[in-house]
Amino acid sequence: MSDHGAHGHDVEHDDVPAGEGKLFGLLAEYDTPGELVEAARKVRDAGYTDFDCYSPFPVHGIDEAMGIKRTILPLLIFGGGFTGLVGGIALQWYCNAYKWGWNISGKPTWSLPANIPIAFETTILISVLTAFFGMWALNKLPQVWHPFFRSERFGRVTDDAFLIGIESDDKRFDLEGTKKLLVDAGAIAVESCHKDPDLSKAVMPKWLLALIIASTAFALIPLAIAAKARNSKSSEPHYHIFPDMDFQPKFKSDQPNDLFADGRSNRGEIDGTIPRGSLNADDVFYRGLEGGDWTHGFPKAYPDGREFVIDDKLVKRGQNRFNIYCTPCHGYDGNGNGAVPQRVKLGGGLWAARNLVDPKADVIRMPNGQLFNTISNGYNTMMGYGAQIPQSDRWAIVIYVRALERAQNASLDDVPADQRTNMPGGTMGGGK
Amino acid sequence: MSLEKTLHPDEKIKAGKIGGSLAKAGVAIAVVFLGISLALGAAYGDHWKRFMYAYLIGWTFIFSICLGCLWITILHHLVRGRWVTAIRRIAEAIATAFPLVFVAGLGFVLPVLLGYKNLYYWAHPDAHDPELNHNLLHKLGWLEPGFFTVRFVIYGVVFSSIAAYFARKSREQDESGDPKISTTLRVASAPAMILYSFATCFAAFDILMSLAPAWYSTIYGVNFWGSSMVGGMATLGLVVLGIQRTGRLTHSVNASHYHDIGKWMFAFTFFWAYTQFSQFMLQWYGNMPEETVWYKYRLFGDWQWVSIAMLVGFWLFPFVFLMSRWTKRIVPSFVFFAVWQLVFHWLDIYWNVMPNYDWQTDYHGTTSVVAGPLSGNIAYHHVGFTPLDVTVWIGLIGILLIGIGRNLTGNLIPVKDPTLGLSLAHDVM
Repeated sequence: MSDHGAHGHDVEHDDVPAGEGKLFGLLAEYDTPGELVEAARKVRDAGYTDFDCYSPFPVHGIDEAMGIKRTILPLLIFGGGFTGLVGGIALQWYCNAYKWGWNISGKPTWSLPANIPIAFETTILISVLTAFFGMWALNKLPQVWHPFFRSERFGRVTDDAFLIGIESDDKRFDLEGTKKLLVDAGAIAVESCHKDPDLSKAVMPKWLLALIIASTAFALIPLAIAAKARNSKSSEPHYHIFPDMDFQPKFKSDQPNDLFADGRSNRGEIDGTIPRGSLNADDVFYRGLEGGDWTHGFPKAYPDGREFVIDDKLVKRGQNRFNIYCTPCHGYDGNGNGAVPQRVKLGGGLWAARNLVDPKADVIRMPNGQLFNTISNGYNTMMGYGAQIPQSDRWAIVIYVRALERAQNASLDDVPADQRTNMPGGTMGGGK
Repeated sequence: MSLEKTLHPDEKIKAGKIGGSLAKAGVAIAVVFLGISLALGAAYGDHWKRFMYAYLIGWTFIFSICLGCLWITILHHLVRGRWVTAIRRIAEAIATAFPLVFVAGLGFVLPVLLGYKNLYYWAHPDAHDPELNHNLLHKLGWLEPGFFTVRFVIYGVVFSSIAAYFARKSREQDESGDPKISTTLRVASAPAMILYSFATCFAAFDILMSLAPAWYSTIYGVNFWGSSMVGGMATLGLVVLGIQRTGRLTHSVNASHYHDIGKWMFAFTFFWAYTQFSQFMLQWYGNMPEETVWYKYRLFGDWQWVSIAMLVGFWLFPFVFLMSRWTKRIVPSFVFFAVWQLVFHWLDIYWNVMPNYDWQTDYHGTTSVVAGPLSGNIAYHHVGFTPLDVTVWIGLIGILLIGIGRNLTGNLIPVKDPTLGLSLAHDVM
């Protein structure tokens, strides 16, 4: 504390110096946090209420010494947290369960566990915001200007100064008496602090005023344009803020084009050519055709030359693909009772998927090639699956459908003699 | 107003007879209640299965309390804490009960090692049946009585030696007053914390989670740890209060210390709920049978009432009321919540352990319970609370008291710790 001399009564004169405003209060400096707390206690005991202590760090016990009531901030935060909790749950209920309910995999639109994480976050969010802004509000922050800021000594309060400031508005304030109290409490310096001089006559600089007016007017331009657009009609095209992004020098496939005789941008394949890898010469494998008609057999080989072998592995592959792509409509056993038709039925609709295994219906009599073609290109309301399922898998599905048809229409003779006793009830599920 | 205080001249800091009295009381409690428990367990007539379950629950309870007190000791050094110093010797005393607790743990580990098959399903012949448990076979290399016992011993050695090391060094400082010992302990606390965390997690997996061997949850150890902290902090607070009642440490430990113990209790109350919900929600929306089955046994039938009691009693009620400053600072209120949370911490362990009780068949007989830990009808799962649970619990608390009492010797406060002055002046604003 050498920068302001030894402990002494460095008290200034109490007359209002020339060019100073009205007296605001007294600022007293103490040497240590401990002395600050003791001084604060004396000031409180003397009955002062309009005073505050300033220190570079929180000082233990200072609030008790100053007689400050406990803050109500925790209650505010609790209220904020509770609001966040209720608000978070209400928001989710309103959006997900009430206003815009959305069926996701048949799950209920409202189920509390799913909403807990969001409710937890909103609880935290609102309590933290309440804590942050509540602290500012209760401390009357932000305070951009205060008469104590004019004191050089006060500038050191974030560094090494421990200060008590008593405002002259306090009922007990009396310049000499208060000064004596502060000094008796151990102040190493007391100074009186005045308000800004001639505050009433102070004028804002002209350039600042002009800047505020100009920027306010400038900020109104977008609003004015929006207001005009909402209240007028125009046949002009849109504004293009980035014309080079809106109009790029390129052709899209569906745009007209003067460069070509047919006027199209999209250039198709040149007549008489086939792109590499698109020959698809094997009619049976790629189209299910044999001599211009649906094939009743199966392809002889894969395009890569491997022999087309119908074995357990291929049937299993067919089952796997069938269960992924076909069962939603046709059902796992191919009888047309999949999840989608069941749902249509629940909704009162009449549409049903084709029964693939009914011995009296068409599918069972279709040639393999036609079945393959149906998977590739669709049939009535069924869309083609050619884009999703490669040819080899389509053939696997054909084989599996044939196996299903056989299984669903099997008789006891189909079961090996030594297995027949193993069957439930001794008869086949199909009962044929 | 000073930031530091010196030890009050009239302060009684010597343990004197309280350690011995506590240990004697512990012996009496343990002998009486474990004796009753043995009689009840034998009378139960299920080849000790119910007794073993009750014993496992009670043992996990005392184990978790030592875990809590060891953690606060390590953390105090790790973060260069101050406020704990005044009560650290008590936390050390509880944590150094670990060796005795692990000896008590042999009560259920030795039978498993020697071929008892009805406590852990993985020790049961059914678990090795590929027809019944194809999803369990790959775990049986880890869940094997011999290896299980080896790991149990490793946990015992890890926890006991960490606790002993911190307590011994702390007492060395009482003699020498060497501030370097604080630095040594700070350096040791980081690896100790890592060891502690892994050992805690794996102990929870082995001792509790493996009761439902096919089920798994990676957060399980964390959740168990959170619950243990609640129990540890509550016990620490109660033991310190008990010591103050004998006229010792009356000037050194103030309301702010209880306030901070209460804050930890509050924090871990929420932490437990947070991790428990994290575990629940992932399994709930993942909706895979091998995971949801664990909650199926707990959220339906009789057990749903226990689950609701946990939600309200272990989380909601203490969460709302421990939020206040005063419920932690006013002694009767602190005691109420500490005891309340200890009871619910025990219930938490019960809730984790007991739904695994009903199996398809017991090894010894053909008592057929049409339900198993892997699949079954919740209608057959009853909470099945018996007086045995309480007597074993109290008996094992007796064991813990012996462990604590033996360690309450010499100074009850680390008299020459450099941070003691700050801790004595501890004041939560």
